[in-house]
Amino acid sequence: MNPLELTLGIMTAVGGFVDISELVFAAKAGSQFGYALIWVFAFSTIGIIVFSEMSGRVAAVAKQPVFNLMRHRLGLKLGLITLAASIVSNLITCAAELGGVSLILNYLTGAPYMLMAIVMTAALIASIWVLPFKWIERVYGLLGLFMIIFAAALIAIHPPWDKIAGGFVPQIPHGLSTKELLVFAYFVVAIISAVMFPYEVYFYSSGGIEEEWGLKDLLTNRITSIVGMGLGSLLGIAILSSSAQLFGPANVSPEIPGTAALEAAIPFGKWGLIVALLGMFFAVAGAAVETCLANAYSIAQFFGWIWGRHKKPWEAPRFTLTWVALFLLALAIVLTGVDVMVLVEFAILFSILVLPLTYLPLLLLSGDRKYMGQYVNGSTAKTLGWLYFGVITLAAIAALPLYFLTSGGNG
Amino acid sequence: MTPDSRIKLVSELLDLPLYDTDGLYCGVVDDVELEGKPGKDLKLKALLIGPGAYVGRMPSWAMVLVRLVAGERVTRVPMDQVSSIGPAIHLKCPGRNYGLHRSEDRARAWIPHTGAL
Repeated sequence: MNPLELTLGIMTAVGGFVDISELVFAAKAGSQFGYALIWVFAFSTIGIIVFSEMSGRVAAVAKQPVFNLMRHRLGLKLGLITLAASIVSNLITCAAELGGVSLILNYLTGAPYMLMAIVMTAALIASIWVLPFKWIERVYGLLGLFMIIFAAALIAIHPPWDKIAGGFVPQIPHGLSTKELLVFAYFVVAIISAVMFPYEVYFYSSGGIEEEWGLKDLLTNRITSIVGMGLGSLLGIAILSSSAQLFGPANVSPEIPGTAALEAAIPFGKWGLIVALLGMFFAVAGAAVETCLANAYSIAQFFGWIWGRHKKPWEAPRFTLTWVALFLLALAIVLTGVDVMVLVEFAILFSILVLPLTYLPLLLLSGDRKYMGQYVNGSTAKTLGWLYFGVITLAAIAALPLYFLTSGGNG
Repeated sequence: MTPDSRIKLVSELLDLPLYDTDGLYCGVVDDVELEGKPGKDLKLKALLIGPGAYVGRMPSWAMVLVRLVAGERVTRVPMDQVSSIGPAIHLKCPGRNYGLHRSEDRARAWIPHTGAL
């Protein structure tokens, strides 16, 4: 297997895990609750691996992307509700990523944030226009690997490995007040949402179709899901753990993405900071591309339009106009001056509400022998799939009350 | 499955993708046209493709949103032009014969045909 074939999973995961919301939530989680939320990352990572593998398998076997089959399976009305909810969720997420990447560019260059937002939108549109799908995933996936500096930084600060290992055991920290317990619960829900963002599955399954996956690619799909998502999770846990060691004891609450970059600056100095910012830049830019394309894929697949970036932009014209329009809409949201962190919170909240609607049809489809033949879900996939569906449904029910009770995790 | 077989409309036909003889994607089966009389067999007469065919399947408020995003065109493809029915529907003819690519062609006029690798 060519290692470059892993780039779809790496881009999906780096853009999905270490996007702007993850950078902030992982760092805040570590600063506020030490290592006690690592298990939520690990638990959610298994969930996203399970569902990514399913969506890739459906793409490879049924040769149909998830949204096509979702509409057939859920019916037109429920399919349209899912589409509308995911458009809103993905658009807000895309605006948050666009705002985030502009902010990082502002840190790197000192140029005005709004100007950077316009420049970045033009650059992202140009990159999708010019590059074929394989190169989009390679460029953003591989350059996002600068983020590995966060794992290196964690090793360099000699963290308490026993405490990090202990963080993998499900736990609720002792001695929390009711208010703090609610904030902890909000972080649990927010991390599940951020790790299992629905756009990751839309992008990954459509990417499988873009790459013309077939039965011979089922192993690639499995390895890509595990390696890609595993790597993304590792980076998220590294950011959380560094924050627990560096920011928690100093009572620093990382409210902006730039604070997370300091995790690399402390052990490695100026160059550590630059590499961290570059990694964040490509990972968040990749996430912006991913959310925008995921949205355009969903709309085109639902309405039956020709779609895909393996085709030239003019060969899938309505799809092309859609992703360009979505980028411009995301830019318009950023230009209203709304705070990036507010967008991040809304993105997390909307995503968790959409999660059950996204994963239920996928679970039903991948378990349907009529579509999947002998490649239908086995007992492990079935058990894990339904377990995680139950968890995300509970998280979706709890999300809104927790958001309001904790003022968006701020206590 | 052939067009003459007994078909479960909801699970085996509606909302499935449609491809023409050139292998081009032509959209999704959005609704069907039936013919028959009381006491007689119900027969499939045509496939309806395009968001305009959602009208009978959706509340009117939802149609406002659909029109905004996707328009309200409907294209009718007679059943005798269908060659097979499976996970996807395949036609016997090019989709262009029935204007199935008209909306894509109209959108194509707005896009520069240059710059992509």
